[in-house]
Amino acid sequence: MSSPPHHEVAAYALGLLDQEDNEVFERHLVECVDCQTELTELADVPDLLDEVRNKRSPIEGRPG
Amino acid sequence: MLNRCKYVAVSRKPSPESAELDPGINEQDERLIGALYQAFGSRLLHHVRRATGNDHHWAEDVVQETLVRAWRHAGKLNHEPGLLWAWLLTVARRIIIDGRRRRSARPEEVEDTGLDAVSVPDESERTIAAMVVSEALERLSVEHREVIEETYLRDRTINEAAEVLRIPPGTVKSRLYYAIRALRRDLKEKGVT
Ligand SMILES: [Zn+2]
Repeated sequence: MSSPPHHEVAAYALGLLDQEDNEVFERHLVECVDCQTELTELADVPDLLDEVRNKRSPIEGRPG
Repeated sequence: MLNRCKYVAVSRKPSPESAELDPGINEQDERLIGALYQAFGSRLLHHVRRATGNDHHWAEDVVQETLVRAWRHAGKLNHEPGLLWAWLLTVARRIIIDGRRRRSARPEEVEDTGLDAVSVPDESERTIAAMVVSEALERLSVEHREVIEETYLRDRTINEAAEVLRIPPGTVKSRLYYAIRALRRDLKEKGVT
């Protein structure tokens, strides 16, 4: 909590932070130019990972 | 508690009218949302459509909700276009992930819409992208590949992944950070990003 959450930018870009962490990170993001730059750079990565997940069978990894 | 959360999630029903139904939206707000649509709507829809597996209705709902959320945050948004775009993608992604989790939590309600039969125009291009990204994932260290696999690719939250990987949530987040950076660096060398 005490250190700035720079490392959370990846989890943030992937939409994986819970609501509370997401809000904390966004407050940080507004102030942190480094994270702003990194978020912009990472913007493509989730889409690219979606290519992989879409390629897999939708049944795979699902319960049931 | 759990039931309550579920109820809230379900009650947030996406609707094409959701902007009009929001009591907090006045005429000026509507203009701003309209401007956001103008600026980002079609580009966002294109991205979102891919992430929703080409489910058009779902994609349109996601875009709608993303832009309404963008309007709510309008005051604190940084207007540097690249960053604003990245932020919108993040908001959309959270909405999509919520949707995926709801859908997989209620498998009997997943409609068989025959989407598999719908041909996607740039299918071969996408297949190549999927291959290149899969190969890049293979080149990562085991730890890095594993953390991407156990979080994003399996629809797990940070806390769920922490349990599976038996490491603290903070470690999941920082490992994911280095993993995603390594993946991006590799893809950039391959000319993908
Ligand atoms: Zn930062």
